[in-house]
Amino acid sequence: MAHSSASGATPTAAAGAGGITAKGLSAGSVGLLGATVIGISCIAPAYTLTASLGPTVAAVGTQMPGIFMVGFIPMLLVALGYRELNNAMPDAGTSFTWATRAFGPWLGWMGGWGLIVATVVVLSNLAGVAVDFFYLMLAQLFGNPELADLAGVVWINILTCLVFMVGACYVSYRGMETTKMVQYVLVGFQLLVLVWFAVAALLHFSNGTAFDALGFSASWFNPFLTPSFSAFAAGVSLSIFIYWGWDVTLTMNEETKDPETTPGRAATLTVAIIFVLYILVSVSALMFSGVGTGELGLGNEEIQGNVFAALAGPVMGPFAILMSLAVLSSSAASLQSTFVGPARTMLSMGHYKAFPNRFAAISPRFKSPGFATVIAGVVAWGFYAVMRVLSTDVLTDTILTLGIMICFYYGVTAFACVWFFRREAFSTVRSVLLKFLAPLVGGIILAVIFVTTLIDSTNPDYGSGSEIAGLGLVFILAIVLFAAGIVLMFIMRAVNPAFFQGKTLTKGTSRDVA
Amino acid sequence: MNRIANYVVAYEATSQGHDALELGVAMARLTDAELRICLVLQPVTAAPSKIYAASGDYEVLLADQAAEWLAAAAQLVPRDVRASTHLIWADSTSEGLLLAAAEHDSDRIVVGAARGGILNRFTIGSVANALLHASPVPVALAPQGYRATALTRITCAIGTRPGWEALLDSLAAFTEGLDVELRFVTLVEVDAARDKHSAAAAGSSGHLDAVLAHYEGLVHGHGSISTAVGTGSTVEAAVEALDWRDSELAFVGSSRLAAPRTIFLGITAHRMLHALPVPLIVVPNIPAAS
Repeated sequence: MAHSSASGATPTAAAGAGGITAKGLSAGSVGLLGATVIGISCIAPAYTLTASLGPTVAAVGTQMPGIFMVGFIPMLLVALGYRELNNAMPDAGTSFTWATRAFGPWLGWMGGWGLIVATVVVLSNLAGVAVDFFYLMLAQLFGNPELADLAGVVWINILTCLVFMVGACYVSYRGMETTKMVQYVLVGFQLLVLVWFAVAALLHFSNGTAFDALGFSASWFNPFLTPSFSAFAAGVSLSIFIYWGWDVTLTMNEETKDPETTPGRAATLTVAIIFVLYILVSVSALMFSGVGTGELGLGNEEIQGNVFAALAGPVMGPFAILMSLAVLSSSAASLQSTFVGPARTMLSMGHYKAFPNRFAAISPRFKSPGFATVIAGVVAWGFYAVMRVLSTDVLTDTILTLGIMICFYYGVTAFACVWFFRREAFSTVRSVLLKFLAPLVGGIILAVIFVTTLIDSTNPDYGSGSEIAGLGLVFILAIVLFAAGIVLMFIMRAVNPAFFQGKTLTKGTSRDVA
Repeated sequence: MNRIANYVVAYEATSQGHDALELGVAMARLTDAELRICLVLQPVTAAPSKIYAASGDYEVLLADQAAEWLAAAAQLVPRDVRASTHLIWADSTSEGLLLAAAEHDSDRIVVGAARGGILNRFTIGSVANALLHASPVPVALAPQGYRATALTRITCAIGTRPGWEALLDSLAAFTEGLDVELRFVTLVEVDAARDKHSAAAAGSSGHLDAVLAHYEGLVHGHGSISTAVGTGSTVEAAVEALDWRDSELAFVGSSRLAAPRTIFLGITAHRMLHALPVPLIVVPNIPAAS
């Protein structure tokens, strides 16, 4: 009768007792292979490549493989900082809480906002890619190329996107998760199809049937041959997007079988696989298509936002439908799982009174952040619909905006790490490296990239070339999103000042814990 | 051993969870049992997504919310019923409830069965359904909108096929020393055109006499016992042909397809459920040896 308490006794006391009430029964269920699969599915390489190859070539031309390699450095540095923060504050799991603890409510709020905005933008890009490939797949399935053109009709496109959003939102709201088996299959399939694509492209090259054969050159791997620093910055910003999600493997402590070694090994294995894959695909795409602006050239603005949609057919022939399946499944799975992040951040912000109370609501039936999930879906779709109408190439523009947003919230988090650990960072060599140097250098790189790309994006030729009043659409977009955040922050401050007065979540350093 | 019975209540902060709690209270009062109000949460995993969504922060908020829900549930329990609340982390709700039942050596699991059923009758939710396929202890299903009342009659639906003795044993254990009326019923599907007093119905009456004799051999000093035969063109109609009180509780056995010691709701019982207006307890098969 150890667990019984009289009615009226504090239930929380009883809730903590008993062997089975211990948190996390599934803790330790993920091994090295499982963690690597999760890492790769976070990155969603098929989706990432189709969305980023074009814009990267537009920015840095043939230096793409080199840029992909350097681009990993800031990601690595920041992720190391992430891991330290995650170990120090395991109960707090978002840029919002970390940045608030380090810098106080104002920058913390903007850090959370940056993450939410980045998600909303990536959700709309994911949905856009999914819509394109959905109609492409229908066209391939029924042998009727006209079906693929439906994706170009704005209202059909926007409505299809709505259907996808509602579906993904509903799955998230129900608290359903893709099972391990589904993840394994999706990841295996993506890797297989991407390698197939690369090999087929190389075969076309050697048979002389490539679209615009470009001889391989070792200089492609030299990132310093990019034409200008602006181009370099844009390329690195895009590379951060392509590795985005990799940091998740480093922070999967609780779920892994051996928390000491598994996350590190999985992160290394993940990035090794991703490295090889990205280099293989980018080199073979360059050798097949060249960087020209011809029909299938990687420099062609028409195809840049969604490269595989244009290239899969000529490269893979009748098997192109496999590519459609791979990208569609990868972006659909990502679309669904990506809802989880902003929903939890908004819930957390609601809980600490940084957002209206309603965002803190947890569905009693599904135990999921119901209101926040629905809002994320509505906003992402609204954003997509507006972009579809405004931009001539919504996918390219959203990816470039995304690069800016990721730089911002990763940068804030990196500096939060440096500041939070300032009192203990110099105690050992290890902590000097991981708690100070790595996040500091990472943060500085991101800040430089952020400022450079923001300034460059004022040029109306930046991205798709859409402009408003002589300013590039990407710049307008980034500024509007930041300004909206600042305005909302002040409104929130006026309506409910508790968070901003430090009453709900306090500023501190790693040494404050008593 | 003078052990106090306890019932696991499958609670969630919904009308369904409330129904389960009410039924738990009604049964606890009848049998002087204690309630273990259990809320199951699934461990939160970092979703495989590009946005880093750590589980830690969210899990803490979720647990806080769950504690609030459980505190509110404890407030709903009347003073005369002893209850404790438990937050359980498990991969699925039904798994968590089964773990809780094992941990507390519970006598049954009470769950709200209905969602969106019409006329206060049963449609089975996914949790209840999972329990009905796996529970080693009896599962009590609360119909939609159930509110606790003093239980005055227990009805046991008995089939004519072998295995009914196990159900009677379980019933006898439950009703021993209780001051309630008992009723044994069998359900007979008859062709609508034929007379209600058919041979099948007559045979059922004979069967009920045998059941009665068996039961009286098990239990001494019981309250009043009645028998009834429900006839109708379908199982549902047969159920509706009987009278049901608000203060009633129904018992039914498991299908013979169920593995020993677990529940598996048979087709007839399943169809019965659709027409039944009162709470139902489904009893697992107990091997003859024990």
